[in-house]
Amino acid sequence: MSAGILSPTAAARPAAAPAPGRAVTGLAVRQVRRGGLIVVVLAAGMTALVTATYAQVMADPAAAGSLAALAGNPAIRILFGAPAGLDTAGGFTVWRVGTFVAVLSAAWSILTTTRITRGEEDAGRWDILLSGRVTVRELLIRHLAAVGSVPVAAGSAITGVLLVAGTAPAGALTHGAGTALLGVFFVAVAALTAQIFPARSAATGTAVAVLGAGLLARMIGDGVTWLRWLHWLSPFGLLTRSGPYVTNNWPPLLILLAAATVVAVLALAAAGRREVRGGLVASGSGRHPRLRMLGSLEAFAVRRALRPFTGWALGIVAYYLLIGTTAVSITGFLKDNPALAGQAAAAGFGGLGSIAGFTSTLFAILAIPAGGFTAVRMVAFVTAETDRRLTLLAAQPVTRIRLIGAEIAATATTAAALVTMAGLATWAGILAVGGDLDLIAALRGVWNPLPIVALSLGAAVFAIGWVPRWTGVIGALPATGGFLLLVLAESVGAPGWVRDASPFAHLAPVPLTNVNWAGSAVMLTVSVLLAVAGAAGYRRRDLRS
Amino acid sequence: MPAPALRTVELTKRYGRLTAVDRLNLDVQPGEVFGFLGPNGAGKSTTIRLLLGLARPSAGRAEVFGVDAADVARAHLSLAYVPAEVSLWPQLTGAEILHLQARTGPGTDLAYRDELVARFALDLSKPARTYSTGNRQKVALIAAFATRAPLLVLDEPTSGLDPLMEREFRAAVRQARDRGQAVFLSSHQLAEVEAVCDRVAILRAGRLAEVATLGRLRNLHRSEVTISYTGTPPQLSTIPGVDAVEATGDGRLRFTLHGSPGAALQALAGADLTALTVREPSLEEVFLDYYGTDAR
Repeated sequence: MSAGILSPTAAARPAAAPAPGRAVTGLAVRQVRRGGLIVVVLAAGMTALVTATYAQVMADPAAAGSLAALAGNPAIRILFGAPAGLDTAGGFTVWRVGTFVAVLSAAWSILTTTRITRGEEDAGRWDILLSGRVTVRELLIRHLAAVGSVPVAAGSAITGVLLVAGTAPAGALTHGAGTALLGVFFVAVAALTAQIFPARSAATGTAVAVLGAGLLARMIGDGVTWLRWLHWLSPFGLLTRSGPYVTNNWPPLLILLAAATVVAVLALAAAGRREVRGGLVASGSGRHPRLRMLGSLEAFAVRRALRPFTGWALGIVAYYLLIGTTAVSITGFLKDNPALAGQAAAAGFGGLGSIAGFTSTLFAILAIPAGGFTAVRMVAFVTAETDRRLTLLAAQPVTRIRLIGAEIAATATTAAALVTMAGLATWAGILAVGGDLDLIAALRGVWNPLPIVALSLGAAVFAIGWVPRWTGVIGALPATGGFLLLVLAESVGAPGWVRDASPFAHLAPVPLTNVNWAGSAVMLTVSVLLAVAGAAGYRRRDLRS
Repeated sequence: MPAPALRTVELTKRYGRLTAVDRLNLDVQPGEVFGFLGPNGAGKSTTIRLLLGLARPSAGRAEVFGVDAADVARAHLSLAYVPAEVSLWPQLTGAEILHLQARTGPGTDLAYRDELVARFALDLSKPARTYSTGNRQKVALIAAFATRAPLLVLDEPTSGLDPLMEREFRAAVRQARDRGQAVFLSSHQLAEVEAVCDRVAILRAGRLAEVATLGRLRNLHRSEVTISYTGTPPQLSTIPGVDAVEATGDGRLRFTLHGSPGAALQALAGADLTALTVREPSLEEVFLDYYGTDAR
């Protein structure tokens, strides 16, 4: 038995008057505080950094020019939204980091909500809470309040930072409130899916699908004039419509607030109607055994990856199909604006007028979802270990190296398949609208960021071996962190070595140019070294269970 | 002489300042059913995790049929394991989990597995997330008993089973012994250990308190003697080995006896006894003797 794992607070003095509600809130807060702090610090920090350096960057003609080119880059416009209000520090900050912070906050809200509600319930830990005086509904309310306070704190911090930086108060308030509401909306969505589905993975997957659809709807609304109304159906679109520092429009935010309230009320209503450990959707009763891919550890690792892979692939394929079908019209627009194209070329974004140039930028950012996928898969492996699901396999005649090796191989294979599907989708999209992109060129383009994906995998494996609790954060560092670093470094005119610390700085724009073989080789070598060190740590450490 | 099924030599596990297992020396012979007793927190599960290489010893070593427990790929070829708390992949059905365990394990007797499924009355078509604690335990037990591994390591395997299933479990343990499989059974259920084990080790706060056959363990401990007499009561208080002399009624005495009974019998011979009963201690009483009220 592993004695000594009780936390010191468990041995607190006997309370005179029991306060079950407060105790539950305390429990919920403990489960979100570390991640929540990271989200708030990132949101406030990035906002502060970009706002604070705006004047300095704009004073330097070269930096200002390259930013103008960046704003003109259609790939960037699809990613960050149409730039508006770039003439003010606040407006520039909203455009540059607003979407990123919103997605970060939304994703964190979803993952955390399902983790501490459905995940805890799945693990049976809610049974003991619910045997007390607390009802499911009260438990849910208190947990949602704890998660929801994080996006609210992040939004307040953003507003505070923008006010301190001296930007217009109305804009600061609109932007902060919008970011907070978006996070709260996704807390509510995840709470609802966690009531509907009796399994955490299904609840998370559905809520993430809502996030992806919302993001996609905003992008389509940005790009296609007659579909601009799609903004009203998307939480991200509503943020765009609120126009911080431009129009400071409140009705869209009120709509978002109303939507979040409705969804939260639905979630609470559902919570009162279902059984503990059950969902509104009944979990499957009997079925015939499906024995395929259960013959070996390796096959089983692939089998476990297939369902999440399908979800990620759907999102990524939809996005790159959209990129493909809009590539022709967007690049055509740049061709017709030689001034803009010339400006872009001067800033080192030559060839944006061509499909190859346009797609190469978008292929590079494939490393973010693919790296995120590898990090999530490796976190799932650690979770299986802590939940003791791995114990029976670890007791079979297989080495630890084979155990983690199977997971690494399955993750690497499915991640490579993900980027390949993105390439095929882009190629098919371009082909469908009569554009011209070689299939081989598309595949070279999507395989180009694979070294960054490998870095993510290597970092995650390293974390599993030495600091398993940090697998998610460390695994997300190379791709998400690296991209963030590049964006920030470019936005604030940071010294070259800061930018060079990002793996994205070492990617060549493929298929526009050739692969940066030296950079790729270095990244792959580092990945292998990290993975070897991680596997060595995993081989000798105790399993956590 | 063949290597023991399990051997620990000065096996020690420390977590910071806490010593969970302290210089444990154990030998389990092939084919024997070995009980591993101790209250919660005594270090039973930690010992088993060390035996399985799931955790690494701070000092000392563990061997499975002469193979270092750290060499899991070889050591696990000769063992099957049922954890104390069975967690299964929630999306897989019982049948799928048994298939996975059989295909990745040390070799499984599929016909016997089907028989076990019937005996334990387990519905294999349900996804594991719908299984109760007892049903999850059944899945792990069936997978383990169906292997031909010469050593079964079972960590409190019946805590979720009902009495009928416990009977099946005991039958399965006996069948395993009849096939020559050694069973290492960790438990705090004395009746279970009493029913199936040849030898028992008692663990207390990470240390080995005793290893003995069941019979010897009982002999080491007090028997309870009750006598009825007429006339003057026998003088027992000064006899070595006699304790806790207590009058339980008119002409009746109860006392405990350990060690050689000769002196006590001589003292009793002088009295006019009408009845004498000697009760062997149950394992539970032996156990309480070891732990007393200060059980941890």
